[in-house]
Amino acid sequence: MSMTGAPMIEIEGLHKHFGAQHVLRGIDLSVSVGEVVCIIGPSGSGKSTLLRCINHLETAERGRIRIDGQLAYREEVGGAFRAHTNRAISAVRAQVGMVFQHFNLFPHLTAIGNVVEAPIHVLHKPKGEARRRGLELLAQVGLADKAEAYPEELSGGQQQRVAIARALAMDPKAMLFDEVTSALDPELVAEVLTVMRDLVQRGMTMLVVTHEMNFARQVANRVIFMDHGAIVEQNTPERIFGAPQEKRTRDFLRTVLER
Amino acid sequence: MELFNLEIAVNNLGPLLAGLQMTVLLTLVVFPLSLVFALMVALAGMSRFAVLRWLVKSYVEVIRGTPLLLQLVYVYYVLPEAGVRLDSFTAGVIALTLNYSAYMSEVYRSGIQAIARGQHDAAAALGMTHGLAMRRIILPQAIRIVVPPLGNYFIGLFKDTALCSVVSIQEVIFTAQILASRNFQYFTLYTVVGIMYFAVSFPAARLVGYLERVMRRGYRRRRG
Repeated sequence: MSMTGAPMIEIEGLHKHFGAQHVLRGIDLSVSVGEVVCIIGPSGSGKSTLLRCINHLETAERGRIRIDGQLAYREEVGGAFRAHTNRAISAVRAQVGMVFQHFNLFPHLTAIGNVVEAPIHVLHKPKGEARRRGLELLAQVGLADKAEAYPEELSGGQQQRVAIARALAMDPKAMLFDEVTSALDPELVAEVLTVMRDLVQRGMTMLVVTHEMNFARQVANRVIFMDHGAIVEQNTPERIFGAPQEKRTRDFLRTVLER
Repeated sequence: MELFNLEIAVNNLGPLLAGLQMTVLLTLVVFPLSLVFALMVALAGMSRFAVLRWLVKSYVEVIRGTPLLLQLVYVYYVLPEAGVRLDSFTAGVIALTLNYSAYMSEVYRSGIQAIARGQHDAAAALGMTHGLAMRRIILPQAIRIVVPPLGNYFIGLFKDTALCSVVSIQEVIFTAQILASRNFQYFTLYTVVGIMYFAVSFPAARLVGYLERVMRRGYRRRRG
């Protein structure tokens, strides 16, 4: 696990409301190239919203997001925000892979069809090349023999691994994982975490919202504890799990680790 | 008085079949036009431009709020007063297409909206623009949802073409009216017409039922 200095994802002063509810209260966060950052916290703490803002699936009202040094999604012109064109927004999203809690595979396409869809139609890769790379990625997530299966023929764990391969097929600069094991039966969690550990080994920059404390403890370079739309505490996994500084962190860890 | 006169039925079968041919032709012209136009209306109705949404909403409400018979008469008899003169077939096609597109656009709309938010999210996260996501991800799934209801509209349209008799298109009802006014064999002629409609509608309804079952089976390829 190498840690290099250059920031891949930089977030400054991010604010987001859902109606009257202030779900992100000024988030500052930077993820370096090759770094693995896990975000933990109670549900409703804003972790998923933060991840969705990074991919502009939610629009933050205030704050800046930079991906690989580029200001993403909008400009500030004379104190006012001006949204980028939809095409420019899509171009940034194409650089950041995202995996969802509920997989969101395209049910009308086979596993390989899911994986090659965006490389062919967004990156305009030749079909043969996209397919070759797609099969490689399916093999990487342990599903070489399921290329022609439809999502409904796959278990949850298999579907989630296809979803990871689908995101990787875009050669993303970073990967966002949004509670990707939360919807899985307990016996299927391990196979997905194994694939994620493998990605860590390959040096992928990863921002992982998770309830898997052991995973966070074992693979994260840094763990962030969020509560009520703010980052309460962040540190190495040893310090967060071994000697949490904030009372809210201690209370949260006590409840989840006692289960 | 004998009710069903087989000889009359056989003797008039030729012109009645010609009428049925016109009925089928109307259906086969109007339905594809409506399929395409209704999709355009549905997409316009979900546009981010408020004017377009408002236009679509007004169109759909006006069509739904007035009888098809009136719409037919309007296109054929009233438009000429504004200088738009159409032959009866064109008028019938326009009125039916406008009418069916309004209803079918609602079918498309509900089909598209039935596709889960997560599909939009996944497509967007892969860098797809809205148009590309619609074309490659949302519409192919929505089609499966809308095929059965659209099939029912096809059958409805086949029967509604009968109204075109009021703008003197020689479809099967109009033909029967002309024949009956000569020989007064209402029972025989209209019974034959009824059998003709049923002979087409019933298999079509079975076909729609079959499609419905196929669509419900999911995306797994049907092996063997």
